[in-house]
Parts: sequence; structure tokens; C-alpha cells
Amino acid sequence: METAILFVLVLGLLFAGVPVAVSLGLSSIILIAFFSNDSMSSVAIQLFTASQNYTLLAIPFFVLASAFMSTGGVAKRIIRFAIATVGHFRGGLAMASVLACMLFAALSGSSPATVVAIGTIAIAGMRQVGYTKEFAAGIIANAGTLGILIPPSIVMVVYAAATDVSVGRMFLAGVIPGILAGLMLMLAIYVVARVKGLPSEPWRGFGEIVAGGKEAGWGLFLIIIIIGGIYGGVFTPTEAAAVAAVYSFFIAIFVYRDMGPMAGIRWISETDSRASRAGFSGLVYAVAFYFVWMILSFFATSESESVTFAGRSNVGLAISLAIGVGYIAWRGDRGIGGVPSALVAGLPIWGRNLKLMGRNSGRAFFNEDTRKVMIDASKTTIMLMFIIVNALLFAHVLTSERIPDAITELMLGYGFTWFTFLIAVNILLLIGGQFMEPSGLLLIVAPVVFPIAMELGVDPVHLGIIMVVNMEIGMITPPIGLNLFVTSGITGMSLVQVVRAAMPFVAVLFVFLIIITYVPVLSTWLPYSLMGPEIVNR
Amino acid sequence: MIVYLPYLITGVVVALFWLAERRNPESVTRFEENVLAVILALITFVSFFQVVARYGFNSGWTGALEFTRLLFAWMILFGMSYGLKQGMHLGVDAVVRLLPGPAFRAMAIFGALCAFLYAAILIESAWLGILGADTSGGAMVYWSKMYQIGIGLDDLRYPEWMQDSFGLQERVQRWIAYLILPIGLGLFGFRALQATVAIWRGERELIIAGHEAEDLVAENRNVLKD
Repeated sequence: METAILFVLVLGLLFAGVPVAVSLGLSSIILIAFFSNDSMSSVAIQLFTASQNYTLLAIPFFVLASAFMSTGGVAKRIIRFAIATVGHFRGGLAMASVLACMLFAALSGSSPATVVAIGTIAIAGMRQVGYTKEFAAGIIANAGTLGILIPPSIVMVVYAAATDVSVGRMFLAGVIPGILAGLMLMLAIYVVARVKGLPSEPWRGFGEIVAGGKEAGWGLFLIIIIIGGIYGGVFTPTEAAAVAAVYSFFIAIFVYRDMGPMAGIRWISETDSRASRAGFSGLVYAVAFYFVWMILSFFATSESESVTFAGRSNVGLAISLAIGVGYIAWRGDRGIGGVPSALVAGLPIWGRNLKLMGRNSGRAFFNEDTRKVMIDASKTTIMLMFIIVNALLFAHVLTSERIPDAITELMLGYGFTWFTFLIAVNILLLIGGQFMEPSGLLLIVAPVVFPIAMELGVDPVHLGIIMVVNMEIGMITPPIGLNLFVTSGITGMSLVQVVRAAMPFVAVLFVFLIIITYVPVLSTWLPYSLMGPEIVNR
Repeated sequence: MIVYLPYLITGVVVALFWLAERRNPESVTRFEENVLAVILALITFVSFFQVVARYGFNSGWTGALEFTRLLFAWMILFGMSYGLKQGMHLGVDAVVRLLPGPAFRAMAIFGALCAFLYAAILIESAWLGILGADTSGGAMVYWSKMYQIGIGLDDLRYPEWMQDSFGLQERVQRWIAYLILPIGLGLFGFRALQATVAIWRGERELIIAGHEAEDLVAENRNVLKD
């Protein structure tokens, strides 16, 4: 009886145009007020406790990191690198767009941000070399969904918070499926390109890959901080996210200079001599390598007693020195003998840039660009968290009414096996994904589905990945598909046109979903071999 | 008397917002945004420097974790009313948009009233007794209880000099942290009422956003159109 009232209330309010969060929260408190003995004070305080969940605290940080990384320049650098890598195949530009979406997804946990950042540049580029707009838009709409599968992913953080699965394992579990989905999309593009005779880009050589990689590397190092830090057992996911947020702030303002007080000022000006450039760059690479080395070796050896800070530092310094000297000797004009003079010549460039950074260090924190990014990130966080907090309240009511237990018994009574159960989960999520925002849906479905899955022996991490992939498909299928709206918005195509354009590749994602559902090892192999199996406490 | 204190505080805050908005609506929005941005920046920097202090120097601030978590709650509970004002809370608008004009407006008002109801019940639920519900308590009651007991938070302490010069207890009182609960809910209810009036007068369409990327799309609308 109560169960029926609860679900009727939620769905009724939802479709009546009440905010998702309020529909969930209001139904829960009405049910508590009329049918339970809980005091409303304890419900009010639950609102507060749910808002200070430590795992979920990672969300604002990932949102912030993604907001700093979404400033046009990073997307451009990633696209350049992607074109250099796979552009020379048939349909190469389309494949490069998929690769760029995958890489961008690794910096940002948001699908719409990926579609806008990569799509605005890549779709225009594809049209220039003769792709149809439909084809280009369809690819971007699909590849953009990888944002929530490739770590870091906000949806995974939410799943982890709802089920007590470790965030680190979830992130690692997303890596192989994410790459597989990208490869499948690329393969589909290659087939289409062969049939339709789509153009390829010229092969620009390994030099271009290295040059592109060097530029994009500053941003892509973020993923190493997150995954390396969590896997190395150094950080908790929330700490890794905080470091990632500060790192991306630093990169966007001081290194890439896409925004903030130094926007548009280049590190090296045209008038610098060749020797001074070589000296400057050599030193940059040496210093950068030293820091990368120190961070990576810290992640790798944090457990070990025998490795000391000084030891790591000395090895790092030696390699850095070799890299710096080697680079200057190679790029400078007078070989190894010119190294000292090149280093000296490079100093004025260093001085100029450090002075610039020093002068602007105060304004870097307080300027209109930074303020806007902070506000955008707060808005996204609040919007998500308000839903999540109320969904947690709703989930609490579900559990206290013992609804999951009843459904578990019912399902087991019908003789569901893990095989048929996973079909049911997929269908449930695919339908739900049409109407609900992913993290809210996940919080409602997870408490019901998770105990059944455990009963049937489904792996918790695997179940999480299945859910995420379902959310992905929900984003590109009508009537309510976030990526469809975004793609239609930026391209000016109608929603129906975008749906038709995306459809062939959605079929690819459906095949992918079936593979992921019935080959659990794809999701579980990487996290379990690196971090050991997930232990479920029930 | 203590029972009325949270009502008084919430009332004063809401009245201040209302008065300031009548003089200069822009500045209130800017104030709300700055509060949110500063809270987010504080959370990020405290967490970051805590990581650096702990792994780099083996030290740190014991209250850091609790401080960031409390700020997170403040950000959400303060921000939910701002979200309502800016119309960024997600909802399903596909069904109500199919309705004819007057019915659509009625549903929009219903949506705003539901948001008000949500805040009203959480603030104090005893009035639901009129409808036959056997319930009591709410944010106000809880807060007054905390104020009377006066117990402190787990890890967050006042600095030594403040303890000495003001004769404060060691730990920061819980009621200070929970202050945002009545205030946040009060502001949420206030914004919901404002939205109801605005929809009634035809100044606003709905309180919800159809999807989460509406701003992002609006900024980049038709950038690729032929």
C-alpha cells in the first residue's frame, strides 16, 4: 500500500513538472509524515548529513577540474594530437574525433561538456573536408557519451556512494570498457568510410604526434594524477579529485593561459633566438620530467620502506639532467658544446615568464574568468547534489519500508538467474534513463537492484559498469537524451535529424552493452588484478 | 522562547534578502554567487593543502576534514534556493508542455507550490496534523534542541586565542554548523513563493530546467549552423 503510494507520488509529481529533487524529497517526507513514526527533525537532519557525504565531496572537485579543462584551448590541443595519431586512416578525421572525445572524457566527467568542447571544433573540421553534417553530428553525439564511462566519472562516484563499492575500483573498471567502446565506434567509422569513400588526412609523421602529445600532455597528466594516485594507494578518490582541481586551475591559468589575466600571452616570442629557445625548452623539459618522475615514483613506491625521498630525487635529477642536456644539444645550433651558452641564453625567457606569473599571481585567483568557472562549477554541483541528497532520502524510505527485500524475494521467486536478471536491469535502466538524470536514477535503482544482484552472484563492480553503460545509451536515445539536445543545440539541426544521424552508432553502443553485460571480465580484470577483489559487506 | 529563535533568525535573513532585492536585484545575485564561489574555493584549497601537508610534511589540521564537509553541506543548502531562483533544477517538462496555455500555467504554479510545500514540511511538520498526519518536529525544532544542549562538533575547535580571550568552549558548537538548515530551507521556501507569484503574473514560465546543459547550449547555440 505505502509502496504504491510512494511510487505513484514520485511519478505523478515528476511528470507534473515538479523538479526531480523535490519530487523525490516531497514524496519521501509525505510518506514519513503520514505512515511512519519517524520525527521530521530526524529527516531534516538527514538532509544535512547527506549533504556532507565524504565520497560525494569528490563531485565538486571533478566538476571544477572539468570546468577549467573545458576552456576551448585544451580541446584544440587534444584534437591536434588525435588527428596526428589516427587521422591518416580512411575516415580519419571522424576517428580522431572519437579519440579526442575519449581523451577529453578522461579530463572531464561530463558528457555535454565533451560534446560542446570537442564538437564545436571537430564538426566544423569534418565538414570542411567533405563529411556530411549528419555523419559528423552523429559521431560526436555518440562519442560524447564516453564522458561518463571513462574515468573520472561523476556517475561512478554516485554509484560508489550508493553501494559502498570503492571508487578507485570503479574508475579502473571503466578504463577497458571505455577503450573498447571507442575502438568499436572507430571500427564502425572505418567500415562506413571504406564503403562511402570518405577522405583521409595526410600522414604527418611521428614528429607531429610527439609535438601534439607534448602540448596535450600538460592536460592529460591529470588522468595520471587521478588514477595513479588512487591506484598507488596514496590518495583517497576525494583527495585525488581535490589535487586534480587545483592542478587543472594551475594548468589553465599559468601554463596554457587560455583564460585569466595572462590569456593569450605566449611563453616564447618570435624574436627569441634559436639557442635561447633550445635552452629554455630544455630546462622546461628537465624540470617537468623531474616533477613527473617524483610524482609517479611516489605513487609507485609509497608502500615501500626501502625507497627514500632523497634516493628517488637523485635518480630523477640524473635523468632530468640527461634529458635537458640531450635536448639542448639536439635542438641548439652548436651541439653539446653549446649547452651552457644556450642555458644562459634561455634565462631571459624564464625571467620574463616568471615575472609575468609573479605579477599576475594575485589576479589569477580574482578575475572574471576564474569567478565564472567557479560559479559554473558550483551551479552544476548544487544541481546534482540537490537531486542526490533527495534521492538518498528516497532510498532511505525505500529501505525502511523494506521494499528492496520484498522485490528481491519476488524476483527470486520468479526464478530469475543472473542472466535474465541482467536483461531485466538493462531494460529497467534503459526506460528510466529516458526520463531521469543519470545520478538520480542510479540512486533510486541501485538500492533495489544491488541486493538482488549480490544474491545472484553478480559482481558489484561489473554491475556498476553495466549501469553506467545504460546511462550512456539513455543520453542518446529519445525522447529525453541529453547529448541529443546538446548536439541539436550547437549544430542548429532539429532533434529528429540528430536522432536519425546518431541512430547507426547507437546500434554499435547496443552491441557494446550486450558485450559488457555478458563478459564481466572486461570490467573486473583491471581493477581486481591491480587492487584485489571487491569485498561486499552485507 | 528558544523555540522561536530559529524562526526569528530565518525571518531576518529572508527579510534582508527581500529588502536588498527590492533595492538592487543584481547585487543580491552577485552576493549569492560570490558566497558559492568562495565556499567552493575554500573547500578545494583546504582539501588540497591538507593533502600536501599530510603527504609532504606529515602534518595537517585535524579539523580540515570536518570543515570541508560542513562547507560542502553549506554550499548545497545555501545553493538550493539560488538554484530555484535561477531555474536550474532539473525536471521533466516534456509532458506539461503538451498542455494548452492555462493548464500549462496551472501546472507550473503547482510545481512551484510543491517546492514551497517541501520547505514548509521540513521546517516544521506539525501543521500537517490538520490533514490527519501524526507527525511533529522539523528543522526548527532540531536546531533549538541543538542550541539548548550546546554540544560541540567532533573535530572542529576554536583557535586557542579565541578560547582564551572570549572564554569560549573548546569545540565549535553544533548549532553554528546547523544554522544553514533553517536558513537554507527558509530561503528555499521564499524563492518558491516568489516563483509562484512570478508565474502567476506571467513573468516566468517554469521553475525547472528541461535538461542539465541548458546554459551550455544557450552559450553555444547554433555555432555550427550553416
